[in-house]
Amino acid sequence: MRLRNLLFAAGLIACLVSFGFALSSASARPLPVNGEVEAALSLPQSGSQPQAADNGFCLSCHANEGLKVELDSGEILRLTLDADAFQASVHGANEVACISCHTDITGIPHPERTVNTLRDVTLKYYTSCKECHAEQFNLTLDSVHQRSLAAGNNNAAVCADCHNPHTQARMTDPASGELLDEARLHVPETCARCHSAIYNAYQQSVHGSALTQEGNTDVPTCIDCHGVHNIQDPTTATFRNSTPYLCATCHTDETLMKKYGLSTQVLNTYVADFHGTTVEIFNKEFPDQPTNKPVCTDCHGVHDIAKIDDPTKGLAVRENLLNRCQTCHPDANANFPDAWLSHYIPTPEKYPIVYYVNLFYKFMIPGVLIPMAILAAMDFTRKMINLSRKSKRVPAHEAPPISEAEAAAPEEIQAESVEPAAISEEAPPVSEAMPETPATPQTLAEESAAAPVEQTDGEEPTAPTDESKNDNEEAPHD
Amino acid sequence: MSGKNAKSTTLARQERSFLRFTVGQRWEHAILLLSGLVLLLTGLPQKYREFSISQDLLSTPEQIFLIRQVHHIAAIVLSLLVMYHVGRILVLMSRRRLPGDLLPTMQDLRDAWHMLQYLLFLRKDKPRFGRYNFEQKVTYWVVFFSVAIMGISGLIIWFPVQMTQVLPGGVVPAAKLAHSTESVALAIFIVIWHIYHVHIERLNLSMFTGRLSEEELRTFHEKEYQRLANQSGEMK
Repeated sequence: MRLRNLLFAAGLIACLVSFGFALSSASARPLPVNGEVEAALSLPQSGSQPQAADNGFCLSCHANEGLKVELDSGEILRLTLDADAFQASVHGANEVACISCHTDITGIPHPERTVNTLRDVTLKYYTSCKECHAEQFNLTLDSVHQRSLAAGNNNAAVCADCHNPHTQARMTDPASGELLDEARLHVPETCARCHSAIYNAYQQSVHGSALTQEGNTDVPTCIDCHGVHNIQDPTTATFRNSTPYLCATCHTDETLMKKYGLSTQVLNTYVADFHGTTVEIFNKEFPDQPTNKPVCTDCHGVHDIAKIDDPTKGLAVRENLLNRCQTCHPDANANFPDAWLSHYIPTPEKYPIVYYVNLFYKFMIPGVLIPMAILAAMDFTRKMINLSRKSKRVPAHEAPPISEAEAAAPEEIQAESVEPAAISEEAPPVSEAMPETPATPQTLAEESAAAPVEQTDGEEPTAPTDESKNDNEEAPHD
Repeated sequence: MSGKNAKSTTLARQERSFLRFTVGQRWEHAILLLSGLVLLLTGLPQKYREFSISQDLLSTPEQIFLIRQVHHIAAIVLSLLVMYHVGRILVLMSRRRLPGDLLPTMQDLRDAWHMLQYLLFLRKDKPRFGRYNFEQKVTYWVVFFSVAIMGISGLIIWFPVQMTQVLPGGVVPAAKLAHSTESVALAIFIVIWHIYHVHIERLNLSMFTGRLSEEELRTFHEKEYQRLANQSGEMK
């Protein structure tokens, strides 16, 4: 038994250790730059062709002009590499070896060609990127492009469609990892290779024109809204519902908005108003639910967002705003757009009705309700004081207690109660248990229908001694 | 009941009760209470959306539709009640038979001042009230005007497109603000004023039983008691 356990443990350790080695060798795989490639490859051919891994060796043929091959599809695959352009690229600068991507090339002669179209070439090699760029590659696996590719669309973008590996310049600051302004400027052009219609709209927009014409990198490019490598389907309800927060990443940024004189209240005013309040709840509860409530893009546009004072699209122009309202509220007339506070916080100048209604309640609620609460509290206090005085007095005097509140009233009433007593002669006597019998037909139907009821007293419950000692004190009644 | 020994029975005064609210008035109150409660319960989650319970209630378009539907139905019930109430007032007025007991008078101000002095221990006696004391009148009129405000503002935010055909657009957000703020103000008022006076100060169920005992009428509405006494005396 013991031996078996021991053996099992030893086996387990052995497994773990070997697994650990495998892992560490995988993760510690060196960037195969020129000098190290030999060691990294350890190929049988490397003995016969020691210089095979050298980029210079590759270029000795592939720098030649006019090197090309016709594929089965009839397309021409150019095999000439612009050595200067490669040297200027981020890969060239880092001395990345040709064969670290072109892993199938192990010597001369090259292996049999297996690709039939130009697209096949790209699709064959793009997985090599993950050897060095695993993080980015894994993000793309979650993207709408990758899903489209998996669904059989060979034209869906892969790494090399956006980043030409032979010419791609450095994109991020090596120290901070931030995207360089130079790279940011060219993002829309990259996407435009496929999404040209959207690019044209973007170029006209307040954001796109600033980027493409003024070189302003404060504005969002494609990737700021859609993400970089894990680009999501923007037509889902989830994406639509999240739009307000997407826009808010910049539009609630104080420093950035101050620079352009824009309000940072756009999100909270949206959430506080009719439309946003529902979208906000959906975002918190079930963000994948479609809603007919508008989000930012429904009024301001998606890629063609204009300045608010733009004469044809700007929402500060009344007709444009009314047009937007009428897409959902077709019967709206010219008064209607004012029902929407346009992201403003009401002031006496802007939306005075709302401002003064708010002001009214600001004073009315505390001004009326607090005094009422105080009165009720005072009433309660006085009532309690009366009660405690009453119960204290009873055992001392052994006399029927008369509270101050009642002091005047019962006496007077008893003096005057001759007249009601006259009515009571007609009423049934107390012993008859018919509490609601209407007994006085001579009185008005609504008033003073006399009937015998138990005696009641509102101010009594806490004095236990009363019950036995005070005859003419009202009997406790609940 | 427990203190009702032989002695007290023989000495007990004869107690009668007085009709205070007709069956119709009691029904009005019951419908007001129920519709108001439904409106409050379906309205609060729409106003206070940051609470998780509100978000659970309003988490799908279907649930939002449902809770609004319930709110609108209760609003229609309350509107019909208001129409009946106001219509009845108008009919009674046209016949010169509207009792003016609920109308505010200078005496109410004097009573309120008197009451304040009493509460501050400056006087030993409470004011002597008529059929309705100033507290009850305040309750009626606050509810009356609050329901009016909420009815009008509610219609505006229910039918914004139709309402802005004649009204400026700015009334819609103003109505939204007034509707929700007024409702909360009214709810707080009901709790601190009405519920206090009919449940805590003394249990006064006359709005449900329809009757006040002679003792209650004499203690809390002394002038009314005397008026009735005199009236029946004259009739006698």
